[in-house]
Amino acid sequence: MRQALIRPELGGIVGTVAVFTLFALFAFDSGMFNSQGVMNWTIVSAQFMIIAVGACLLMISGEFDLSVGSMIGFAGMMIAVFGVVLAWPMWIAIIITFVICCALGALNGFIVVRTGLPSFIVTLAFLFILRGFTIYIPQTIERKTIIGGIRDAAEGDWLAPVFGGKIGQPLFQWLGDAGIIGVFERGSRAGQPVVDGIPMLIIWALVLIVFGHILLTRTRFGNWIFASGGDAEAARNSGVPVNKVKILMFTFTAFCATVFAVCQVMEFGSAGADRGLLKEFEAIIAVVIGGALLTGGYGSVIGAALGALIFGVVQQGLFFAGVESSLFRVFLGVILLFAVILNTYIRRIITGER
Amino acid sequence: MADPIIQMKDIEKHFGSVIALAGVSVDVFAGECHCLLGDNGAGKSTFIKTMSGVHKPTHGEIIFEGRPLDFADPRDAIAAGIATVHQHLAMIPLMSVSRNFFMGNEPLKKVAGISFFDHDYANRVTMEEMRKMGINLRGPDQAVGTLSGGERQTVAIARAVHFGAKVLILDEPTSALGVRQTSNVLATIDKVRKQGIAVVFITHNVRHAMAVGDRFTVLNRGKTLGTAERGDITPEELQDMMAGGQEMATLEGSLGGTV
Amino acid sequence: MTSLMNKLVLATAIVAAPFMTAQTAAAEGEKYILVSHAPDSDTWWNTIKNGIALAGEQVGADVEYRNPPTGDIADMARIIDQAAASGPDGIITTLADFDVLKGPIQNAVDQGIDVIIMNTGTPEQAREVGALMYVGQPEYDAGFAAGLRAKGEGVTNFLCVNHAIQQPTVGERCRGYADGLGIDLGDAMMDSGTDPSEIKNKVLAYLSANPDVDGILTLGPVSADPTIAALQENGMAGDIHFGTFDLGEEIVKGIKAGTINWGIDQQPFLQAYMPVVILANWDRYGVLPGNNINSGPGFVTKDGLTKVEEFAGEYR
Repeated sequence: MRQALIRPELGGIVGTVAVFTLFALFAFDSGMFNSQGVMNWTIVSAQFMIIAVGACLLMISGEFDLSVGSMIGFAGMMIAVFGVVLAWPMWIAIIITFVICCALGALNGFIVVRTGLPSFIVTLAFLFILRGFTIYIPQTIERKTIIGGIRDAAEGDWLAPVFGGKIGQPLFQWLGDAGIIGVFERGSRAGQPVVDGIPMLIIWALVLIVFGHILLTRTRFGNWIFASGGDAEAARNSGVPVNKVKILMFTFTAFCATVFAVCQVMEFGSAGADRGLLKEFEAIIAVVIGGALLTGGYGSVIGAALGALIFGVVQQGLFFAGVESSLFRVFLGVILLFAVILNTYIRRIITGER
Repeated sequence: MADPIIQMKDIEKHFGSVIALAGVSVDVFAGECHCLLGDNGAGKSTFIKTMSGVHKPTHGEIIFEGRPLDFADPRDAIAAGIATVHQHLAMIPLMSVSRNFFMGNEPLKKVAGISFFDHDYANRVTMEEMRKMGINLRGPDQAVGTLSGGERQTVAIARAVHFGAKVLILDEPTSALGVRQTSNVLATIDKVRKQGIAVVFITHNVRHAMAVGDRFTVLNRGKTLGTAERGDITPEELQDMMAGGQEMATLEGSLGGTV
Repeated sequence: MTSLMNKLVLATAIVAAPFMTAQTAAAEGEKYILVSHAPDSDTWWNTIKNGIALAGEQVGADVEYRNPPTGDIADMARIIDQAAASGPDGIITTLADFDVLKGPIQNAVDQGIDVIIMNTGTPEQAREVGALMYVGQPEYDAGFAAGLRAKGEGVTNFLCVNHAIQQPTVGERCRGYADGLGIDLGDAMMDSGTDPSEIKNKVLAYLSANPDVDGILTLGPVSADPTIAALQENGMAGDIHFGTFDLGEEIVKGIKAGTINWGIDQQPFLQAYMPVVILANWDRYGVLPGNNINSGPGFVTKDGLTKVEEFAGEYR
C-alpha cells in the first residue's frame, strides 16, 4: 500500500485533488464547471502541458531551457512570415518552422554539451536572441509587430487543421441539442453549442504526455534520460551516450514549444512579438510541482502533466472564485512552495537521499 | 599454472614532464585476486586507467589473453571483458537498482515493432544476481540511494560480472566503508574470484588486502617493488614497502603498532 | 506521516482564506468585467481600475478588472473566454489585437453578453465584433492631431519613444504623428523597452547621435518619465519640443515646468467609467447612446492644470 502510494507523481496527485476540492467548494456554481468553464481551464492546462512535457524530459536529463517562451514567439512569427508574408502554402510553412525550431533547439543543446556551460546561461542567451529576432523580423519586413491573416492563409490547407482544428463536433452538437451543454442565444451561431469540439491543442497535449511517459519509463532511451541527469559521468562510464541524449532532449523541448506556437497561431490567426512571454518559467513551475528534481535525474511526465493541470486550474479558477487577480501570484508561490516541500519529502523516502 | 589472462609489461606513462608510471610490470591470472597496494599518489589510479583503456601507455605493452592490446577507448576494454568498478561507483543513487544494473546495456523486447525496455527481464535478473551476492532487495525498483555503501559496491561488482567481465578492476572499493560493509565487499570479491574471474583489487589498506589477496604488488612513486605470493610476506612488510621503508618504521613506534 | 497531514491542513487553511472573503464581498447587482491587455507593470491602468470602481459604486454594480499578467494577447483571449464562461451581464474590453480577440468577443456576444470596446481598437472593429459601442481615443487620429499641432509649433525632425512595440495600435500614434508633421516615419520610432533607465539612456544616445531632432513624442508615462529625466540631464529640457500621450504625475510636473509642451489626455477615466454606467442603464432601462464616445484627444497645456494635478494618476 505504502509502496504503491509513494511515487514521484504523489505530490501532483495530492495537489490535483486538493485544488479541485477547493474550487468545487468555493466556485462550483460560478460557471467554472459548466461546459464552457471546463473547456476554458482545460485549454489553458493543455497549453501548459505541451511545454511541460518537453521541459520535464529535459529537466530529468539534467538541463534547463529558458528559451521556451521566446521559442514560442519565434515559431509563431516564422509561420506568419512564411505563410502570410511570403505566402507559401501553410503546410510548407509549418514544416519549415518545425525544422528551424528543432534545429535551434539542437544548437542550444550542442552549445551546452560542447562548452560545458550551464544550460541556464546558454538558453538565457537564446531567450534574448530569439525574442529579439521575433521583434526585429516583422518590424523590418512589415513595419509592425503583429502579423495577422494566418487563418485565412491556412484556409483549405491539409496540415493546419492538425494544429488549429477541432474534433468531435457532431458529439458536441448533439450534446447542445440535447440541452446537456449550453447553446448560443443569438448571432450567427445561434443554436450552436458554446463548446463545439475538442481543440487539437488538447489532443496534442495528450499525445505528447503519452509519448513522453512511455519514452521515459518503458524504453532504453528513457533509462538513458534518467542516467544522464542523475550523474552524467557515471552514465558515460556505463556507455550511455549522454551528449546525444541531452541534445535530443533540447530538440524535443523546442519541438514542444513549436507545437504550442503553431496551435496558438492557427487558433488566433495572428503571430505577435510578445507571445509566450515567461512561458519558460510556467513550464518549469509545472514540472517542479509535478515532482521533478531541478538538478535532474528524477521526475515523471505524468507528474508534470498534473503540475500543468494544477497551474491551469488555479490560474483560471481563482477568477471564477472571485479572487482578486493580483493574488494569483501569491497562490502560485504558496502552491509551488508546498509542492516542493511535499515532493522533497516523497523523494527522500524513495531514493534514500539525505 | 596457465598463462596470465592479462600482462602489463614495463608500462610507462608520462603526462608532459611528469612521470606517473616509470616501468611497471604486473600479470594477473584468471581466478586470482591480485592486490595492488600503494599510498596516495603512488600511481595506482594511472595504472588502472591504463589497464582499462582510459590512458594509452607512453611506453610498454599490454597482453590480454595472449594477444597485444590497443584500446581506443574504455568501451573497447569493456567489450573485451575488462570491467572497472570506480571509486565513484558509476551508480546513480536516484535510479532503481534494476535501472542501474542495466544502464547502458538495457534489455529490449519488441512490441508491435517498437523496442521497449524489458522491465520484467531486468527485474528478474537483478533480483537473481543480487541474491547470488547475498543481498536481499526489497524489490528491483528500490533506489540505489537507499542501499548502503557496501551494497552499492556489490551491485556494481555484480553488474560487471553479469555483463561478462573476465578481469574486474576494483578501485578502492573498501576505502569509505565501515567494518561490516567492508567484510561484505570482501566476501563478494571472494565469490567473484571463485567464478574464475581475475580480480585486480586496488587498496591502500593492508589488512583488507591480506584478507582476500592471492598475490600482492606494491607501487611506490610510479615503480613496482615486486610481486609477492600470499604467505611469503607479512602485513608489516607490505606496510613498510608502501610507505617506502624508513619513515614509517619510526612513525609506527610512536603509534604503538596500530596502523 | 502526521507532519505531512499537518502541513496539508495548514496549507488548506491558508489557501482557503481569501475565498471566504471574496465570497462575502460578492453582493447583488449586475456583474461587469473589464478585460485589459496591459501587463501588471503598466501603472497607467490604475486610473481605469479607479474609474470602474467608482462607477460600480455609484450605480450599485459589481465590477472586476482582469488583465494578462505579462501582457500576452493570447492569454487575454483566454481571459475573455473565461469572463464569458462566468456569465456576467457585460464585458468591457480593449481590442488590442483584432485577429486574436475577435473570436472570443464574438462568442461572448453570441452568448448574450453585452460588450463595449474601450481604449484600443476602432469604431469599425467594435461594430464588426458586435459590440454595443466604442469608447476611446482613435489612435491614429490622435497622433495625427498631435502631429499637426507640433508642425504648427515648428517641429521638423522628431523622435517617437515607443515603450509598447508589441502593440501595433500604440505604434499608430507615431505613424499619425509623422503623417501630421508631413514627414516620413523612417526609423524615428524607437523601441525603448519598458525599463526606465534603459529608456533614459536610449533617448540620450539617440539625441546625441541625431542633433537635428527638435521634437520628441512619448506614448505614455512609461516612456515620458525617463525621457524627462534624460532631457534634464543633457540640458535640453524646455528647449526641445516635447509632446506626450497620456498624463501622470511626472508629466503634469513636466508641463508645469515647461519641459513638456502638452500632454494628450485620452481621459482614461471616462473609458472605464462611461461603459459601466452605460451598461447599467442599458440593462436596467434599455437606454443606450446612439453613437460611439470619443474620450479624447484633449490637449492639456500649462493653463488649467489644477484639476489634472489634483487627480493625476487617480482619475486623470
